[in-house]
Amino acid sequence: MIFRAVEDADLIRHAARGAVEAYNLLVSRWEKRVYNYLLRLTSNREDALDLAQDVFLKAYQNLRKLEDPGRFGPWLYRIAHNEAYSMFRKRRPETDVDELEPEGVGGGITVGGSSVFPIELSLAVSAVLGRLSAEQREAVVLKVYQGFKFEEMAEILSCPVSTVKSRLYTALEILKVELAPVGTRGVS
Amino acid sequence: MSCSPFDLKDYFLKELPDANRQPVEDHLRTCPACQEELDRLRLTEAALFALRDEEVPQRIGFVSDEVFEPARWRRWWGAFWGSAAQLGFASAAMLSVAILVHAFVRPAPPVRMASSPAATAASISPAEVQSLIQAAVTRSEARQEEKTARLVADSLRREERERIMRAQVEDLNRYLERSDGARKIAAYRTAAETRLLP
Repeated sequence: MIFRAVEDADLIRHAARGAVEAYNLLVSRWEKRVYNYLLRLTSNREDALDLAQDVFLKAYQNLRKLEDPGRFGPWLYRIAHNEAYSMFRKRRPETDVDELEPEGVGGGITVGGSSVFPIELSLAVSAVLGRLSAEQREAVVLKVYQGFKFEEMAEILSCPVSTVKSRLYTALEILKVELAPVGTRGVS
Repeated sequence: MSCSPFDLKDYFLKELPDANRQPVEDHLRTCPACQEELDRLRLTEAALFALRDEEVPQRIGFVSDEVFEPARWRRWWGAFWGSAAQLGFASAAMLSVAILVHAFVRPAPPVRMASSPAATAASISPAEVQSLIQAAVTRSEARQEEKTARLVADSLRREERERIMRAQVEDLNRYLERSDGARKIAAYRTAAETRLLP
């Protein structure tokens, strides 16, 4: 748990009353997470950055509509999800939303220079994630990388918890086969 | 297929209620197949974390940026009330009220018959009056400047304190991220080494 002198909920209440500095602090707390979520959805840094800008602008404009400040995270990611899929739709309007695939997913995202893992492993993971469907990949990103609970994921994705679990578990089966072959023991 | 009393993936993803975790842990101690399945899930997660979060390439447009800014007159109004002018305005208003109250409430001074009014008036020359007024104004200005300097210094000190606090929080966050990452790397390496051993 990250130490925070002021809780997000307090900042949200202040920001909703027009305290700009409070909102600035909120943005600085959430920008990296939201950017990386969008980066894994779009596989494109420029798109992820543009979308993140839009997400925080829309969130600011609609902050007063957020009834429960404790739900800020899922609410913000819901905006991010909608923005990303709105962009996919604009670029390929003829495609069914369920079949939307971000551009360049197969090629994967190159890894930041500070990674301590072998580059081959990073590329392999990126490639395997690219083989999942857009929905399965988003479920993995929200659960594994962003740490949301099933109920929060259902709120973000606007679908039942059972659907979230189904997408995630199917994805985990695929990932397990590709990334963790049988006969591995000793992980503490 | 897992034979665990509750879904092993729910257990792994920390989505099982506390009451249901213990039966799974008991089962894992006696079932090598489920233990292996859990190991594979952990290994999968460790591999996924090879894909690290990236830093945001540039700062997200904050609400203080132009695009978020309120209308010009609102900015002026906000700046006016957030500045030293507010203090000056309030002081001037209080002073005016005090003068008015004093003028109406103060009892009239007893009339003293000066033996020589002309002499009294003549005892302070216009130049001296001017000089006294100038001295009073200078003293008042010095007080104001001192007050302003104190306010600015306080503000700078407060900003510096906030900057240091922010830096400390960022250091702490980085440390926490690093320590969490290191734990996962160690788990992954242990797993990878185990796989390589005969």
